[in-house]
Amino acid sequence: MKKTLKLYLLTMTNITTTGVTLNIKSCRTKFAHRFVRSLLQIRNHAPPSSSSSSEEKLIQKRRQRIKIAAYLSMAHAVGPRMNWSRALLFKLRNRACRHRKKKRIVVIRRKTKKASRSSQGSVPVDQAKKLRRLVPGAKSMDLCSLLEETAHYITCLSTQIKVMQALADHLSK
Amino acid sequence: MNRALPEMLNCMNAPGTFLAGNCTDMTVLERQRARMKWHLHEHNDPIQLHQQQQGYNFSGNELSGVFSVPIPAGQAQGFMGLVCGDSAVKPDPCSENRWAELGYGSCGLVVNNNGAAGFEEMINGRNNNSNISRTFSCPPTVAAEKKSNDAVLSQKISLPTGKESFKKRKADKVQSNKAVAAEDDSTEKRMKGCAEEGDSKITEQTSTKNNTNNDRESSGDTSKDNSKASEVQKPDYIHVRARRGQATDSHSLAERVRREKISERMKYLQDLVPGCNKITGKAGMLDEIINYVQSLQRQVEFLSMKLAAVNPRLDFNIDDLFAKEMFPACAANFPTIGMSSEMTNSAYVQFNPVQQMVSSCGLDMGINSSDLALRRTISAPVSIPETFLDTSCFTQAPPTAIWDADLQNLFNVEFQQGRTTPFQSQPFTGSIEASNLKMEM
Repeated sequence: MKKTLKLYLLTMTNITTTGVTLNIKSCRTKFAHRFVRSLLQIRNHAPPSSSSSSEEKLIQKRRQRIKIAAYLSMAHAVGPRMNWSRALLFKLRNRACRHRKKKRIVVIRRKTKKASRSSQGSVPVDQAKKLRRLVPGAKSMDLCSLLEETAHYITCLSTQIKVMQALADHLSK
Repeated sequence: MNRALPEMLNCMNAPGTFLAGNCTDMTVLERQRARMKWHLHEHNDPIQLHQQQQGYNFSGNELSGVFSVPIPAGQAQGFMGLVCGDSAVKPDPCSENRWAELGYGSCGLVVNNNGAAGFEEMINGRNNNSNISRTFSCPPTVAAEKKSNDAVLSQKISLPTGKESFKKRKADKVQSNKAVAAEDDSTEKRMKGCAEEGDSKITEQTSTKNNTNNDRESSGDTSKDNSKASEVQKPDYIHVRARRGQATDSHSLAERVRREKISERMKYLQDLVPGCNKITGKAGMLDEIINYVQSLQRQVEFLSMKLAAVNPRLDFNIDDLFAKEMFPACAANFPTIGMSSEMTNSAYVQFNPVQQMVSSCGLDMGINSSDLALRRTISAPVSIPETFLDTSCFTQAPPTAIWDADLQNLFNVEFQQGRTTPFQSQPFTGSIEASNLKMEM
C-alpha cells in the first residue's frame, strides 16, 4: 500500500516537471494529500464500536473534525504567506485555549470594534464588517488587503469544495 | 492619428501601437480593451491565469500608478485594465520574440510617452509634438526600432508624469510633513501651466526645473537629480531611491491611490464571484461576495457532513481509500497536462497514471493475493511512459468489467471537474480508445 503511494507520488512529480504547473493545481494536490491523510487519521482514531444510541453524536463529532481537518489542510497547503491561512492555523491550533478564554476575547473585541471605527470611503462599512467576520484573520485589516485576502480565500475555498465533492462522490459510490 | 487606427486594429500583436491608439482616441478604448482581453485569453491562457492569481496587483499597480495623476478617473481605469493585461503578457516567454522585445523593452517607454501625450493634449487641445504622432502611426515591426530611436525623447516627455506617479506611489507609504505636500501640489499646478504655455517639451521640462529651483532649493535639487536619472535611463530602483526624499503625502493623492486599488481588487473579485458581473455599485457587489463566501462555507460544512456519514461505511478497505486519494489529485493534474503543447504525447502520458491507478484500485478491490508482483510489473511502464509494455501485463489482471466501470467513474467525475473543456475532450477520447484497446487485449 505504501508502495503504491510512493509510486504514485513519483509519477506525480514526473508529471509536474513535464507539464505546466499552475499554482492552484499544486495547492489542490497538496490539499488532497493532507485532507485524505487526516481523514484516515480521523477514521483510525475513532473507536470502531458502533453503539446505536450515540450514532448521531458520533457523526456530529466526526463532521466537526472533518470540517476542521479540511480547513486546516487547506491552510497548510496555502502556507503562511496569506493572512487568512495564518490566522486559521493559529486559531485552529489554539482552539482549546480559546474555549477557555472565550468570554474575555469577546469583551476585548467589542472594545476594539468601537475604537476602530474609521471612515471607509466609498465602500460601505457594514458590508466590510460582515466580510471581516467571514474571512479568517481579517479583523484588523485595511480594505485593500481585505479584498485581496477575500479573493484568495474564495479561490481556495472553491478548490477545497471541489476536492471534497470529488471525494464524497467517489466514496458514496 | 485616425489614419493609423485601422492598422492598429489589424495588428493586435503589438501592445505599443495598441496603447497608442487607446490613448489618443478614448472612445475606442472600450472596444479595444475588450479585444485585447479576448486576445490574451486566447493566446496565453494559463500564464494569464497564473498572473491573475499571484501578481495581479503587484505588477499592475506600478504601471497603473503612471497614469493615475494626469488622466481622470474613468480613463485611468481603462488604462489600468490595459496595463494589467499587458503586464500579464510581459513575463511570458513562450510567445513570439517580437512580443518579448516590444513588450518589455519599449512598451514601458511608449506607455510613458502616451501618458505624457495624452496629458498634454488634454490640457492644450493641440498637438505639439510631431515626433510622438509619428511613433504612433508606425506599424509594429518598425515601431521597435523607432521607439529605440525615440527612447530619449519619450523619456524626456514622460518625465513629468513619471515624477508625479512616483509621488503618488510613495504617497501611501510615506507619512510626511504637510509643507512638502503643499510644495507638491504647487509643482503640479506649475507643470500644468507649463504645458499650456510650452510649445516644446524640453523647454517645459527646463521651466519646471527652474521653477522648482527658484521656489525651494532642496526640493529643486531632488527634482533635478530625478530628471537626470530618468534621462540617463538608469534602472528602476535608482528612480525609486532618488524620489524617496521627494515623495510626499497629500491626502487627496493617497485617497485616490487607495480608491484605485480598491476598485481594481473589486474588479478581480467580480471576475471571481459568479453572477457578480451584472451588479453595479460596490455595496451590491460586496453583498454578493459575502453571500458567495457564506455559501462556500456552508458547502464545506455540508460536504464534511456527507463525508462523515459516508466514512464509517468503508471501514475495512484502506486500499480503496488510498485509491481515492490518488483520484482527486490525479484529476487535478489532468488539466495541467492537457495544456501542454503536444497533444498526442500528453494524452499518452496522461493515460498511464490513470491506468496504473485504476489497476491498483482494481487489484485492491479484487481477489488476487499475488498482486505485489503484478504491481511491480505495472510500475515499470510508468517510469518509462513512452513504451507500452503495460498492455501485456494487463492481460493477467482481474476482469475488465470492473476496470471499465472504474474508468467510467473516473472520467465522469473528472469531466465534471475539468474547467477547460476544449482541452479536456481530447485526452478523454484518447484514454477511451486506450481502454478499448485494453478490452480487446
